[in-house]
Formats: sequence, C-alpha cells, structure tokens
Amino acid sequence: MRRATDGRTGILLVLPALLLLGALTLYPVAYGIWISFFSKHSFFPEQQFVGLANYLAVAADEEFWRALRLGLVYSLSTIALQLGLGVGAALLLHQAFPGRGLVRAITIFPYVIPTVVAVVIWKWLLNNQFGLVNYALERAGAIDQPISWMGRDWIMASLILVSVWQFFPFVVLAVLARLQTIPPELYEAAKVDGANAWRRFVHVTLPQIASVLFVVVLLRSIWMFTKFDTPWLMIQGGGAEIYIRTLPIYTYQRTFAWYEAGRGSTMAVLMFLMLVAAAALYFRLWRREEQL
Amino acid sequence: MRRAALACGVAALVFFVAFPFAWMIATAFKPSHQIFVSPPALLPSEFTLDNLARLFQQTRFVTYLANSVLVATATVVLTLAVAVPGAYSLTRYRFRGREAISATILFTYMFAPIMIIVPFYVLMRALGLVNTHLGLVLAYATFCLPFALWLLRTFFQSIPPELEEAAMTDGASRAQTVLRVVLPLALPGVIATGTFTFILAWNDYIFARVLLSADELKTLPVGIADLYNASVVDWGMIMAAGMLVLVPVLVVFVIVQRYLVAGWGAGGVKG
Amino acid sequence: MVRIAAALLAFAAGAICLPAQAQKVIRVWHTETQPNSQEAVKNIAKRFEAKNPGVKVEVEALAWGDLEPRIMASLAAGTPPELSHGQPITCAALQAKGLLLPLDEVVKALGEANIWDQVKRVCRAGGKQYGLVHAAGTSLLIYRKDLAAKLGLKPPKTWADLIANARALTLDTNGDGKPDIYGITIPGDNLFINILLGELVKANGGILFDKQNRPQLGSRQVLETLDFIRDLTRYAPPGWEGHGYLETFANLYGQKAAMMYQGYGRGASLIEKGAPREMANAETFDVWVKPHGPSGKSPAAQVDEEPWMLFKAAKHPKEAIEFLKFFYQKENYLEYIQTVPIHFFPITKSLRGDKDYLATPMIQRWKSWIEVQEQYLNKDQGKPTLVIDWEDMTAKPYLMEVLGSGILRDMVMDVVLEKKPAKEAAARAQKRLEEMLKSKGHLK
Repeated sequence: MRRATDGRTGILLVLPALLLLGALTLYPVAYGIWISFFSKHSFFPEQQFVGLANYLAVAADEEFWRALRLGLVYSLSTIALQLGLGVGAALLLHQAFPGRGLVRAITIFPYVIPTVVAVVIWKWLLNNQFGLVNYALERAGAIDQPISWMGRDWIMASLILVSVWQFFPFVVLAVLARLQTIPPELYEAAKVDGANAWRRFVHVTLPQIASVLFVVVLLRSIWMFTKFDTPWLMIQGGGAEIYIRTLPIYTYQRTFAWYEAGRGSTMAVLMFLMLVAAAALYFRLWRREEQL
Repeated sequence: MRRAALACGVAALVFFVAFPFAWMIATAFKPSHQIFVSPPALLPSEFTLDNLARLFQQTRFVTYLANSVLVATATVVLTLAVAVPGAYSLTRYRFRGREAISATILFTYMFAPIMIIVPFYVLMRALGLVNTHLGLVLAYATFCLPFALWLLRTFFQSIPPELEEAAMTDGASRAQTVLRVVLPLALPGVIATGTFTFILAWNDYIFARVLLSADELKTLPVGIADLYNASVVDWGMIMAAGMLVLVPVLVVFVIVQRYLVAGWGAGGVKG
Repeated sequence: MVRIAAALLAFAAGAICLPAQAQKVIRVWHTETQPNSQEAVKNIAKRFEAKNPGVKVEVEALAWGDLEPRIMASLAAGTPPELSHGQPITCAALQAKGLLLPLDEVVKALGEANIWDQVKRVCRAGGKQYGLVHAAGTSLLIYRKDLAAKLGLKPPKTWADLIANARALTLDTNGDGKPDIYGITIPGDNLFINILLGELVKANGGILFDKQNRPQLGSRQVLETLDFIRDLTRYAPPGWEGHGYLETFANLYGQKAAMMYQGYGRGASLIEKGAPREMANAETFDVWVKPHGPSGKSPAAQVDEEPWMLFKAAKHPKEAIEFLKFFYQKENYLEYIQTVPIHFFPITKSLRGDKDYLATPMIQRWKSWIEVQEQYLNKDQGKPTLVIDWEDMTAKPYLMEVLGSGILRDMVMDVVLEKKPAKEAAARAQKRLEEMLKSKGHLK
C-alpha cells in the first residue's frame, strides 16, 4: 500500500534537483553539442552549419593533440602524486600523536583556499629572482643557477607542484575516514601471523581502502583533466603559457580569444567523450557495482 | 625508531603544507623595499601594517569577503535543501528511472565547466540573473549538486533501513522519522557535504568572473585575481589579502574537522 | 568580524533599498586598475552625478585580460556598457561590425584642432571618430644610465648596436663566473610579444600583412626580426619567457637587468616605489630612443592608447557623451592624468601646455622620459599594437583575432626557445594564420 505513494513522493522529492540540473546543466550541454556542428563567432550572431567539419579540423589541428598530451601529462602526474602523498599523509595522520587534531586541520588548509591564493603564493615562492625556493636550493648546493620555474623547462613541474599541494588533502580526507573504520582486529590478526608493517599495509589496509581509492581516482581524474583555474591563473602575470596549454586552456582560448565558439564546443564535446570512455573502461576494469 | 620516523613524517608533512602559508604571512608584514631583495629575508626586520592598511583603504577587499561569505552560505543552504530530499529519495524510494537519474547526474559532471560558460551566461541573461548574486548561487548549487547528491546518497545508504522501519512502526510519520532518526545519524555526512559545497562555491573563479561585472558584487577569487593583475603588483598587499582569507577558514576548520573525517568514513563506502 | 557584519548589513540594506528608480544609469568600464586612477575616475563620476541629477554613473575597472572577453560577452548578450576602454584594434574590429557610435560631438567640444593628430588617427572611419583615446603613452627603451656611463656606452642607432650594448651590460659583479645583472629584460606573455613584433617589424621597414591580407611572415624583414629577437634574448635572464610585464619592471629596479625594451611611463612610479632610494630617479634610469633594424630607417615604438568606445546597443548614449565631455574638462582630466603622469599623455594640446600639468612634480622629475615619448608621437613613429600603417586600422579588422590567437607569439617562441630556424617557424605560423584568416573570410 505504501509502495504506490512511495514512487510519487520519491519523484517529488527528487524533482527540485532534477529541475535545477536539467535547466542549468543539460541545456547548456545540449547547446554546446549543437553548436559544435556550426561555425560560430563566439559573440556575434553569425553562424553557419558545417556538419562534421569542426571535428575534422580539430583532428587535424596539431595544437589540439599537443594540448591533449599536455593535459594527460598534467592529470596523470597530479593524480599519481596526489594519491601517493594523500595515502601516505592519511596513514601518518591515522597514528596517535599529540596535536593530531591540529595537524589534521592544517593538512586540509590548501584545499580550502581559493585557487588564486594558492597560485599566487607559489608563484611568489617560485619566483626565479626573489623566490625562497631558489634561494634554499642554491644554499643547499642543489643548483648553481636559479631555476626559472615559470619558464619553458619547469613550468609544467611548477603547475603540478601547485596542483598537488592544493588538492592532495581531498585524498587525505577520503582515505583517513576509511582508515578509521577498519576494525583493528584485522591488524591484530595479521601481526599474529607475523606480517610486518609493509605486508600489513598491502594485505590489510589496501584492500580495505581500495573502494575509496577507486572513487577518489575517478573524481580526481575528472576534475584534473578538466581543470581550468589553476593553469589559467598560473599563466596570468607571466608564465610560459605554451608549455601548460592543456585542453581546457586551449578550448577557452579558442572560444574567447580566437572567438570560435563552434571549434571550442567541438573540443569540449571531445573532452566529454574522452572522459566517458575512460570512466566506462575504468568501471569495467574494477567491475564494481558502485551505485551512483 | 618508529616514533622517530613518525615524528619525521609528521614534521615533513606540516612543513610542506604550512610553510607556504607562513611565508605568505611573513611577506604580508614586510615593507615594500624588503620584499624585492635577494637573498630573501626570512623574517621582516621591519614589521609593518602598511600592506593591510592599503588593502582595506584602497581596495574593496572587505566587500569581496562579505560577498564570498554570502554567496557560499546561500549556496550551501540551497544545495542541502535540494540535495537532502533528493538523495534520500534516490536511496529509499523506488521508482522507475531511478538508476538512470543517478547515472545522468554523474555524467553532468563530465562536461567541462568552462565550455558551458557561454550558453550558461546567455541563459542567465535571459532570466535576468546576470550580475546578481542569485544567478551565481544558482550556478554554484547546480554544479555542487551532483557531488552532494552522490555523497549524501552514500551516507543514507549506510544507515540501516530497519531503524526507520522501527520508528515508523512505532507510529512516527516518514517526515518525523527523517528528522529524528535519519538526519541525526547522517549529520556528519550533511556537515561534510555542506562543507564541501561551501568550498566549491568559495573557490570558484570562472563563473564569478563571467557572471558578475559590478565591482561591489565580486567574490574573493575574482577580487584577488584582479588585485594581482592590476598594473602595479603589490606582493605585500596580495599576501595580506591571502592571509586574511585564511583566518576565518582556519577557525571554521578546527571546529568542523572532526565531523569531516568522521563524515567521510561513514559515507565513504559500504563494507 | 564587526566589519564583516557591517558590510553584510550594508549589503543587505543596499539590496533591499535599491528600487527601480527613474534614474538613468550609465556604465563605464576602464582598464586603469591602480587604486589612484580608480579613485580619480570615481571622483569624476561623482562630480558628474552632482551636476546631472537623475543620472548615475557606474564605474568599473577591469584587468586587461578580462576586458575583451567581457566586452564580447556583453555585446553577445545585448547589454554592453555605455562606454568602455579597448585596444585600438578592438575598436577597429567592433566599428567594422557596426557596433559603435561616433564620438564626434565630444571631439567638437574639445576642439578638433586641440586634439593631437596622432590620436585622431586611432579608430577613425568614414570621416568619423569612433574611438577617443583616453591618454597616450609610448613604449620606452629604459636603461641604467649609471652603468652605461661607466662602460662608455652610446645610444644604439641600429639593432646591432643594441645587441652590443646588451652584451656589454651583462655583468658578473661578484666574480663567480655567472651574470648577476643581465643586459635586457623582456616580457614573455602573448600581448607583449605581439607588441614587440609589431614595433620591430615596423622598425625594420617590413609589414605583417599585405593589401590582400596575406601574411608576410616569410619576408626578409620579418625573418631578420626573428633573428634579432633570438640574439637579443641571449642577454635576457633565463626563464624570461615566463616573465610578465610587471616582473620585467621588478627585474629592472631589483637590479637583475640593465635595460628594458618594453618599458612604459608607469615604470617611473614603480621605480620610485621599488628601487633603493638613492637610485629611484631619472639619473639612474633613463631612456634611449629605440634603434632601427638593418632593413629599416627610423625607430618605431608602440603607443599604449586605449580609445573610449561608445556602444550602439547601450541604453543611454546621450548621457554617455555628456559624461565624456565632462571627463575631458580641465579639472577632471588633469586629476586623471596626474594619477600616472609619466605614462598618461593628455590628448589635448591645451592640457599638455597647461602650467598646472607641467608643474606636476613627477613630470619635473622624469622630464627625459616625457621628451622621448613626445618625439615618437610628433614624428609619427608611434603606432598601436600590431598596426604598421594607419590604414591598417580600417583595412585590417582581424588584427584583434590575430593578437588573441597567439600565433605570432608561438612563432617567436619557436625560434627563441625551440631553436628552430626562423624560416621554418615563420612558415608554420604563416600556414596557421592563413588558415585562420581564410576561415573568417578575410583571405580568399
């Protein structure tokens, strides 16, 4: 008897969410896909149907492939580092020590500040003439010439550094929470079996946090692949832009500097398809029924 | 031995995370002439409040801060108001298309925000919401929603339905059950969701950049980016601004962090 | 905390108390984001409001990178501001699309003969003035006079001279075998590389596009320019490609570089603020006239002169015109100009000869900087970004997109950073430019 109203009430409860998402996400997405079949000036009404011409042009555009490559380098590096650092930090913060609460709070800080502040702090630290990092490296004897962190050779590394610093706390939060729900008996049993710390990590901890890591990697991949703010703000005020021109940056430039909305939308659609394909592959690899 | 390793690890972690902030604070209190020196001075030899004074007198920093707080808070309220019932529905109710809806929600996440920006702007303009905080709040709530729904859903799933059944068998209505039984249990999750939503709204640059044009409506990320890009880059003042952004966040976080970690745990995964 | 609460309350109060009044609101966007210029414009707006009850002026200062996208977005949405600054080539592009209204009424109010000729050539089409420059300032070759005197260096007349000077000025002051001060500093970002290329090609007697809009990147003059940039940047601090405009100033007054090829008048204020006190003057930091290239005859400099533009789709153009007239009245214009006096040249002869203007202390202190700028302007050696000849302003409305595309900058970086031969880099850029121009219908 309750079943019938269940359904209706259920839909009613989820309706506001659906409306909001439908109007403010699906419509722009649909419009973006629609426009990818046109040649359109970004801000003036002139537009012309060109079918698949945009897609063909993008495939032939060496800048597109370069941007894709840079984007993949960026995402994969940052995800790997965020994961490694995040899991390591979570393990540390799972141990008992005085002041742990405070240290946990501090660890989360980089994640909660606006990206522009993170970028500006690091740009200042990495300033090749007056920055502290170069000074420290020179004093330590690691380098004898100041490194140009915003120049051709190092700007990608700088970008990765800032992105890892800013976003690894997300991983820490997720993993740490899960660590706290692992029954200590599992570790006891492993110790009894004679397992050392590393084996305990591999055989007890990892399997337990695997599903969290699965989700974390999925989300961080989506967010790092489509990240716009961090590289964009890195370029402002001076930065060897060409070397961190990832796909979101190139897409933005094509739309807002070349004024080619059609071409920009094409690249956005391609990004979307790439993410969908990667997610599908990912799910299949893990064979999980994660309910989303 | 193990304690030493632990201490080292923690120290390294704290250094990596906190030192940039410390450097920012040190720079914020240095006079202009002391900032562009090589070798850099670790501590200001002349402690000055000049940078802060300039920040308050010559810029609208306080306005930007107020705007950010207002917009982010409104976003959290709206997002939770929509996501809590939505997630609950997706968890407890059965109706056709439930799974499809869940899948679609994740898919909406994959469209790069920067590309929906132009059609989004056109839509907002048609609704008369350009250059208003309401338009921005709607934008933020929308892009926080998929994540909020997903996160809350996993929290609700971790609460055994038997508890609700028991309460309802005792005569409570569904609504009462939710209020008295479910929400208290899911509170860490709600707080975690609220906090993540707040951060996402607080940090956003691109929507605020495109949707707002009046200076008095700007939020902090846009305000600070503009300070940085201005013709005269004032590192001392920028660092002062960054520092001030840190203080309220620091306070909130020390209070809330307990919930965050616990919240993630309960809702993180099943089993 | 109290301040935040107060601000929140004020905001709430304001939000509630802003009814739709029968007020005409004119929106004015400008790019002078430094606090004193912003204040000057706001003061002018307030005085205008006092004189014109029923009119409200909403002023907004926008950072460079944000201005153009915002203008475009607002035009697309049909709600542009009344007035905005913009680059000369942007003005030309928008005028070509019929989106602007002429400002001849303001010109008449100022006196046509009173406005410098150079300024009138910006954004002029069909005999009408579609953009009115707010203030002009040219790019400057700034150098360390003290070091140059010590080394006995002469003002460079040709590019080879400049490279020789840069080499001489790259000094190892502490004897550790590494340069401590570099000969020259140049910004690496897109806008400034484009500005540089435009200046240099002109100074080398070349052109970027011919009359049929075909790019001329393979020409001898352009190839020589690319080689020159490559040779010159040998004496720039490593990583210069990551230096922004402001950083190059910091390099100069932080004594990491001895010359700046793309300095501007506002650098004088930066030097006064950031350089050690005994060095913060025109005896230490002076300007040379820029040299010409091997295939050219006379110097060329870029003029930083954004015109005010009046949008056709704006709601209150009449009031906007009145505001502009008010803006250029002596007491208002002088206040504005004095916020960045070495960089802001008044567009009117009357103000330029005015004794109050000339008595401005900063102008007294940095006279040589002003004189060089005046020289460029009087000899018609100054042009806006990417404009080689004045006809380009009307004949080549695609320059704005060329600038935004970054193709020219990529070409320079190919030669300088990727060490490609100039011919190869130019050919690649030529192909990309041709494709872009063809897709927009400018090239057949």
